Amino acid sequence: MEREIVHHPRAKIQDYASVVGASAIEDLRALAEKLSGKAIQNINSTFTGGGVAEILARMVPLLNQLGVDAKWTTIKGNDEFFGVTKKFHNALHGRAEHISSEDLSLFLEVNKKNAEELEFEGGIIFVHDPQPVALVAKKKECGEKWIWRCHIDVSKPDRKVWEFVRNFVVDYDAAVFSAPNFTQQLPIRQFLISPSIDPLSDKNKEISSEVIDSVLGKYGLDKGKPIIAQISRFDYLKDPVGVIQAFEMVRKSIDCQLVLAGGAATDDPESEKVLEESRDRASNNPDIHILPIPPGSDIEINALQRASAVILQKSIKEGFGLTVTEAMWKGKPVVASAVGGIQLQVKNKFTGLLCHSIEGAAYSIKRLLSNPEYADYLGKNAREHVRQNFLITRHLKDYLLLFISLYYPSDIIYL
Amino acid sequence: MIEWLTKDWLSITVPVVVFLSFFVVAIWARRTVYSYLNNLLSKTKWEEREIFLQAIRHPIFQWCIILGAYSAVQISALSSYGKALAGSIAGSAFVVSLIWTTISLAEKLLRIYLNKIKTPSLLPANLIINVLRITFVVSGVLILLDIWIISTTPLVLIITIALLVVILASRDEILNIFSGFELARSSLIKTGDYIKLESGEEGYVSDITLRNVQIKASGGRIVLVPNSKLAKTTITAYRKPLKKATQPFHFHTQLYIKELTGLKTKNLPELISILKDVPDSVVYYHTHSFIEEYHYLTPQPANEFALWVSDVIGNEILAEKLSNIDTFEFSSISGLRERIIAVVNEELSLRGEGRMAFEGREFHFIKSVSVVLPTQYIAHDLREFVEALRKVSMNSLYYHIFESRLRLQKGINDFSIWLQDSLNERELSDKIAALDPYNYTLEGVRSLIIQLIEGRIK
Repeated sequence: MEREIVHHPRAKIQDYASVVGASAIEDLRALAEKLSGKAIQNINSTFTGGGVAEILARMVPLLNQLGVDAKWTTIKGNDEFFGVTKKFHNALHGRAEHISSEDLSLFLEVNKKNAEELEFEGGIIFVHDPQPVALVAKKKECGEKWIWRCHIDVSKPDRKVWEFVRNFVVDYDAAVFSAPNFTQQLPIRQFLISPSIDPLSDKNKEISSEVIDSVLGKYGLDKGKPIIAQISRFDYLKDPVGVIQAFEMVRKSIDCQLVLAGGAATDDPESEKVLEESRDRASNNPDIHILPIPPGSDIEINALQRASAVILQKSIKEGFGLTVTEAMWKGKPVVASAVGGIQLQVKNKFTGLLCHSIEGAAYSIKRLLSNPEYADYLGKNAREHVRQNFLITRHLKDYLLLFISLYYPSDIIYL
Repeated sequence: MIEWLTKDWLSITVPVVVFLSFFVVAIWARRTVYSYLNNLLSKTKWEEREIFLQAIRHPIFQWCIILGAYSAVQISALSSYGKALAGSIAGSAFVVSLIWTTISLAEKLLRIYLNKIKTPSLLPANLIINVLRITFVVSGVLILLDIWIISTTPLVLIITIALLVVILASRDEILNIFSGFELARSSLIKTGDYIKLESGEEGYVSDITLRNVQIKASGGRIVLVPNSKLAKTTITAYRKPLKKATQPFHFHTQLYIKELTGLKTKNLPELISILKDVPDSVVYYHTHSFIEEYHYLTPQPANEFALWVSDVIGNEILAEKLSNIDTFEFSSISGLRERIIAVVNEELSLRGEGRMAFEGREFHFIKSVSVVLPTQYIAHDLREFVEALRKVSMNSLYYHIFESRLRLQKGINDFSIWLQDSLNERELSDKIAALDPYNYTLEGVRSLIIQLIEGRIK
């Protein structure tokens, strides 16, 4: 059941001092010291694949380097169980799903079996997402504090599924959400911890102009023409056709090119359809480049973002929007829809421009392309905003503060 | 035997007489030369003359005896080989006596002179005396070898090589020692000075030795800086003695996490209805989160109420009025809360409740949960304080300037309190207290306070 964690050759905690300053790392060490003697056990459903596994693979080793006794365990389940949890996931996102009473029984049965077999070692049990949520049944026997980390937007869920999940959530000591508008009313403490990006990962690290040029050459992009890019998977919610329409409005007065790049999810038949529609809408316009990028092409994504003059994220609905964070970290001016977690990142006219329509997006892009100094001002602010609020070091700090604050009821804690 | 005595008595008697004569002269010389030198040196007022005279009193006698023995042998009937051998023995005895006397005298005089130097720790007497002893002993050995007609070349060569090896192996140490002498000679820095090096180390000089300078840095850390490094770097020394605080200032830092209250609103009437009852931590969060999250921006955005009213409700007049609320006027959160409610109520009575927020753009009430931690920085006077202030994190600065004043309801920032209570620096305290930190970035606040303190200690 408990498999070995694959330790990736990732950056060490001290490597981040050059990015966020030595004092930020000192703060982390000071906080970590206060957790001496407390073990933290993270529990989720998989070691590989998905955003949760990705963030835990980075966070747990960094917590260990800070001296925190953090562990990572996964639950065991068969394909049938994960089929049910996939339906849970969609239903909590608000999508209509048929979930039978057998599905609910299976969910409970697998959680119960895991609860019996798992070794709960932590003083703090940190359960991620709905799959293992029912493990809280062991709360009376194990662990001092139980936290449920919800990585998804449950603001408009299927009521039946939410009520089912909520029955377990209320038994936790605290819940954690990524954005204020992803939450539900709960009788327990709720904390707000935004996701983060790793500035030293392939997707975000500094790369040479030679690498950028080679990627531009590979995809036939004109180095001398401003690039407007939206980096997102091909999904109706990312409105790629709206992006093309906005670009066409801009292109009438400014010579530029559009890059629509992203992964085409193999398990999502809708993705292929969106890709085809986008190609049709582009109508062989040589200035529009639709680039399905294979998974794992982090350096290429990095290069495309860095080569762009403006990054667009014209989503109709959005989770937190980490592609926006990535662009901001690269000092790029961003034009993004005022939806989901984007609003936490883009403060209109300070760290980017928010839009509410295709016309609004086109107008903002034109303002940025014709005012490079203004674009530069927004880009610099955006980078500093991410440095302060959306890097993995801030994420670590929030987790450490969360663990500490669970032991104190007051709003000001003196350590 | 009798025959030999009657025949060669002169060959015995003359050397014996000569030796006895030298013995008498030696007794006379010890007394006369001592008196003469004593009279002579008395005129010079040389304080150490007694040591000098005592040191040479017995050797003068010894040297006369050695000279007597040497002369007696030379006029005796001994063979030339015997005479040469006796000459070598007498020469050796003289050299040994001379070296012993010199070392003894030099050691006594050096100890006295080194004690008179104001920085005794810089010049360790034992080290210098040992070097002197070795030098004299080696010189003596070379002379003795020469007397006994033994080639000194191999020994000189070995000594030279050994010296070179020692110099190469301890060149850094030698550099430190020479730099130490230079420091002592020039009196550039003294114990008690506050110094700042180009490389960032700084603090009060607590000790100066031949090898390094010991600095007592912030937080009681001891930093040892090699003298050779000091000789190469730029040093800023602050010699003016500064008043010590009755209580040191301990810099703290503050880190916060956002806790959701679960409360949200779509319109203005509901906003003030909820605002009336939420904890102070909520009002504090929404009026201060920008200061930390956007500390790099000039000008910084206003409070979150104003931003939401502008961006979501679209009421620019009310947004301007909320932006213009001067947080610095308030010494408690309740006062600030009342003002915000009054401004919104006034707008509601004039123009009605206005539009509703779209779904997903509601105002969420969040509170700030702060964790306060001590830092390594501690200041005992203004110099230490200003140097620590340059280094502390933004979070620390924020805590002492903003959080202490309003959230902890001290009514004034921590720095001003300490300056007045522990250093009696009322004027400086008042100047810092009068600074409106909401008009500046955190870096700007830091620079202004540093300027004020630098001006005071200049």
